[in-house]
Amino acid sequence: MSATDPASAEAAVAAQQRPSAPARTLDWLRRFARRSPVSAFWGVVAALIVLIAVLAPVIAPADPLTANFRMMSKPPNEAAWFGTDQVGRDVLSRVIHGSQTSLMVAVAAVLLGTTVGAVWGLACGYFGGRFDLFSQRIIEFMQSFPDLILAMAIAMALGAGTWTVILAIAITRIPFGGRVIRSVVLSVKEMPFVEAARGLGASHMRLMFRHILPQCVAPYLILATAHLGVAIIIEASLGFLGVGIPPPNPTWGNMLADSLNAGLVPPWWLVLFPGVAITITVLAFNLLGDGIRDMLDPRLRGSV
Amino acid sequence: MLRYVARRLGLGVLTVFGVSVVVFLIMRILPGDPLVAVLGSDGMQRLTEEQRTAYLTDLGLNAPLYQQYLGWMGDILRGDFGRSFFRSESVADMILRRGPLTAQIAALSVLLSWVVGIPVAIVSALRPNSVADGAVRFLSIFFLAVPGFWLGMLIVLGLLFAFGYRAPLTGADLLGDPWTTLQMILGPAIVLGLGQAAYIARMARSSLLEVIREDYVRTARAKGVNARAVIRLHALPNALLPVITLSGILLGFVLAGSIPVERAFGAPGLGQAMFQAVSERDVFVMQNLVFLYAVVFVVLNIVVDILIAWLDPRIRYA
Repeated sequence: MSATDPASAEAAVAAQQRPSAPARTLDWLRRFARRSPVSAFWGVVAALIVLIAVLAPVIAPADPLTANFRMMSKPPNEAAWFGTDQVGRDVLSRVIHGSQTSLMVAVAAVLLGTTVGAVWGLACGYFGGRFDLFSQRIIEFMQSFPDLILAMAIAMALGAGTWTVILAIAITRIPFGGRVIRSVVLSVKEMPFVEAARGLGASHMRLMFRHILPQCVAPYLILATAHLGVAIIIEASLGFLGVGIPPPNPTWGNMLADSLNAGLVPPWWLVLFPGVAITITVLAFNLLGDGIRDMLDPRLRGSV
Repeated sequence: MLRYVARRLGLGVLTVFGVSVVVFLIMRILPGDPLVAVLGSDGMQRLTEEQRTAYLTDLGLNAPLYQQYLGWMGDILRGDFGRSFFRSESVADMILRRGPLTAQIAALSVLLSWVVGIPVAIVSALRPNSVADGAVRFLSIFFLAVPGFWLGMLIVLGLLFAFGYRAPLTGADLLGDPWTTLQMILGPAIVLGLGQAAYIARMARSSLLEVIREDYVRTARAKGVNARAVIRLHALPNALLPVITLSGILLGFVLAGSIPVERAFGAPGLGQAMFQAVSERDVFVMQNLVFLYAVVFVVLNIVVDILIAWLDPRIRYA
């Protein structure tokens, strides 16, 4: 019947072969859940944490910065589920607002660091030669510092602030992006389709960004999700050591640092809740990352 | 072997040089006036231009950068690590006083990570997908997610609540008073050791699983060697090579991790000194400590590389 109208038949076939974007996303999620149910569960947890972070001002029961001197250092009770700190600020609200800072800093740092590293690795792998040799040495120098120590030094040199912390963590992520993407590019650039494009006279820029870069998307995503957890822990450690986001803005790390100043013995609720928040968040992102890695590239199972 | 060692040492010297340049650049080039750190921004504003120049000259910060760098390197080669702005003790003395505690924590934590990680890996590699394997995998994932310093705070609080016990905060002297020292280093070493054990167990498990499938292991089994001896004498030695390399890389994790962990336990090691330098914005102390940590990390990894080459002829002849 559609033979009479070839154009509409073609459209119908196309529609059948290529479902709408939301449908494809849903299908991908369904396959993901079937393949790694554990990761899917933790993916839902991660989504909830992101939701909490985004909606922090709406769902937090109290203002995280308002001191209440009639409610100082109270253990968890009906009014304040997670208790209050030494100046009477609501710990639950501070943990909720802390999630916003932690996630924003971690995501921004990982994206920035991995992207800079990836572009650098792309150039190294593509051009090779002296530029590559020189770059590899520099990356080696950067990796001679334990992550946290490098981040501490940079954060201290730049002075306290949100962007400082993001930059400090991002710089420690550059070598990973550089190394991984470089090795991908080294193998991709020898493939026939790249050779063909070069034969047709494509410029370096076009070859790099139009032909080779798309092959780097999966490793890039795997790398970025795998490093989110590490970034959150570094951010918390910087906060704990007093070179993170400066108080009074709550972050999980500086809340833990604050608890040490709350007296000779820190009240348990000031220690317990921020740490649980860090652990659950890192656990969720790590396991989600494992699932994404298995889905995008089964060969990498167990590595990265 | 000698040629391999010589080449590795040569590369190491180059790396130490590169590391020193990176430290110098971070501390001197990045925006942020070192005087603000010393005097505070209020103190800064009260300075006249001449006073400012005098201060900078006094600290050697007015010289061209390459001269500052060479001066710094010269001092370090002479064993002069400078002096804190805020304390009379020289940095070299501070390192000698505080360093041993951190070194002991690091050594004990590496020991613990092997003692815990390897048996756990053997159990889970021999019975893949069993309950034990599942438990091991969960724990290793869990310990990768828990920040060590928080675990440390919980341990301190827990011991205080349960037994009213608090580890001593001073008096570390390994030979004179080994019991006090042990109490001070045990907590941090356990926390850092478990963190490493998670990585070690993961690596050793997958490496063992690979080695067990090799022909020579099957041959040994076929000859009738008993299962324990096959694992202990045939499979483990080869399977542990990548674990040794990982252990060297994890030393960076220990060195850096000991900073917040020592703070959590209140252990007066080098990590606490680093924390103090950071919170006081003591630029010169920080510069020297960061350099020291990086050099220690580089040197230990050279030692690990040479050890591996000595254990595995395939590497030194490659």
